[in-house]
Amino acid sequence: ADIISTVEFNHTGELLATGDKGGRVVIFQREQESKNQPHRRGEYNVYSTFQSHEPEFDYLKSLEIEEKINKIRWLPQQNAAYFLLSTNDKTVKLWKVSERDKRPEGYNLKDEDGRLRDPSMITVLRVPVLRPMDLMVEATPRRVFANAHTYHINSISVNSDYETYMSADDLRINLWNFEITNQSFNIVDIKPANMEELTEVITAAEFHPHHCNTFVYSSSKGTIRLCDMRTAALCDRHAKFFEEPEDPSNRSFFSEIISSISDVKFSHSGRYIMTRDYLTVKVWDLNMENRPIETYQVHDYLRSKLCSLYENDCIFDKFECVWNGSDSVIMTGSYNNFFRMFDRNTKRDVTLEASRENSKPRAVLKPRKVCVGGKRRKDEISVDSLDFSKKILHTAWHPSENIIAVAATNNLYIFQDKVN
Amino acid sequence: MEFKLEAHRIVSISLGKIYSARGQRGGLKLHKNLLVSLVLRSARQVYLSEPGCPPEPACGPPEEEPPPPGTAAWPAGEETTIPPPPQDEAARGGPRVPGAECQGPRPRRCCCGCSCCCAAAAGGEENRPDCATATGVAATLPPPHCPRKRSAGERVQAGSPVKKPRREVEEEPPPPPPDEQEDMETGNVASLISIFGSSFSGLLSKEPKGRRRPPLDGGESVAATSAEAAAEPGQICCDEPVLRTLNPWSTAIVAF
Repeated sequence: ADIISTVEFNHTGELLATGDKGGRVVIFQREQESKNQPHRRGEYNVYSTFQSHEPEFDYLKSLEIEEKINKIRWLPQQNAAYFLLSTNDKTVKLWKVSERDKRPEGYNLKDEDGRLRDPSMITVLRVPVLRPMDLMVEATPRRVFANAHTYHINSISVNSDYETYMSADDLRINLWNFEITNQSFNIVDIKPANMEELTEVITAAEFHPHHCNTFVYSSSKGTIRLCDMRTAALCDRHAKFFEEPEDPSNRSFFSEIISSISDVKFSHSGRYIMTRDYLTVKVWDLNMENRPIETYQVHDYLRSKLCSLYENDCIFDKFECVWNGSDSVIMTGSYNNFFRMFDRNTKRDVTLEASRENSKPRAVLKPRKVCVGGKRRKDEISVDSLDFSKKILHTAWHPSENIIAVAATNNLYIFQDKVN
Repeated sequence: MEFKLEAHRIVSISLGKIYSARGQRGGLKLHKNLLVSLVLRSARQVYLSEPGCPPEPACGPPEEEPPPPGTAAWPAGEETTIPPPPQDEAARGGPRVPGAECQGPRPRRCCCGCSCCCAAAAGGEENRPDCATATGVAATLPPPHCPRKRSAGERVQAGSPVKKPRREVEEEPPPPPPDEQEDMETGNVASLISIFGSSFSGLLSKEPKGRRRPPLDGGESVAATSAEAAAEPGQICCDEPVLRTLNPWSTAIVAF
């Protein structure tokens, strides 16, 4: 099993897709809940596995292009088939996942081995009939959107018009139509004329869930820009600019790195955006640009360890963040296979761990606590014992129920609400 | 003092990261390298503005009076805050005055250069805390000491990689003499720059400007010239005049 690099539920929550470093996509499907066993809520089983991207070689630049899947985004379902977008650093692909449970039988043009029979030997016309067969799920690439990005793609986002989507790399954002693969519109370009003047890059981008003309993108400087595509073809000028003034008392060598935003997500309502930087999660109201309305400390105890984290590269980890279906709880990952949830209404938070030892099926997850100094209590774990190689970067929340998917390196954990 | 070491350590780590980023799969990660270059720049600023840092000998000591330690709020622990970006950085960049020999347009080199001079002045002992006073002595010393010491190492390295960048990767910079720690930093950086040399035509051509002066070693200056000439043919981006006004380190890294 390879390291999981992205996790995403589809719009109904029936399917859960994961992408990994090896370019594979694995889709899980939720079992239909059966009347016989009402206490056994639908579990997720493997539905389809396919190789989405392969490693490529750019001969012109003598560079290898990684096959790692950076993001998967589902399209809303419009017919019996499922569609998803998956992307690596350079190429976005549209995959169709469909079921086949019937097979045509009765061809008389070929013999048993599949070899064509001699036409002169065929004397009868026979029309094949469809017979049931074991369910087969097949994934076929329907579109390949290539050669539009010089830099590494970090985000894709499907527009609410379901006809277009955008792909963002470090310096540019392109708008695509699903039907057209040989063209895309460049809607944001922050590349300076002189690359030596480069001071910030795009780190994430997302369309507004309801307004098809609006999108946001975050930067490595900790800012978010909201753009309206109606104002101009090239949205280099933002409609809104979200930035929180820096706290001068926290200034250090690494201030810039830790303020870089690794993920930005609209709330389901479209009213708020959530951003994740290295130490915090922030919730912003679209109507207030000068500071976030809520800030949650994910693992502030790391603030004094930034130099070591810089040395071992952990400070560059890009954590994602997610909303629950009702936008009342937000979740993000941390180290030591811990992940955190913050309830926006009660202001309570919890730290949980995704590990085999703690995760017997049906076991209730026990809240964890990191001890920040002073005496360590029995169940607490001290900061120095944290395993920084076990990081939870990718999580997903079912769109309507309390089911979460947590990717811990090469393991996927799915947790559900306790059933009463 | 610890902060200077800390900053130095961070600079070395950062350079190591940039160096190793070259060969990684998937190509250059622009975002990460940008962040590393920002850290590098901050650390260098701190390193150079730290009270213990000896200013360039030719620059006239009085103007170099670094901000007294008291003003910078240094919290204990791993983290260090950056003092208000020293205005004397700009001042340093400006009129270098008389001994323009000692690399006028490149204030960044000052530490290394000075340690040479200081070392020479103090007869081989390194006396960093007292450097402020020693600079007075150093100023009177013949400057050719520093440029020579530093540039000799650099030029040797600048010569080769333009031709064979790959080979350079294996080459170790000559181990610095024990009492010249700052030189190590330059050594690393110099080799880095020379490794990237073919991509930084502006940088390389900028340097010899200061180096190619008084005559030091006939053979070496020839090497530098050919390196510069070879590097010119339009590699990446750099306009000399633009470059001169920019921080050479950020130039190196950001252009990359």
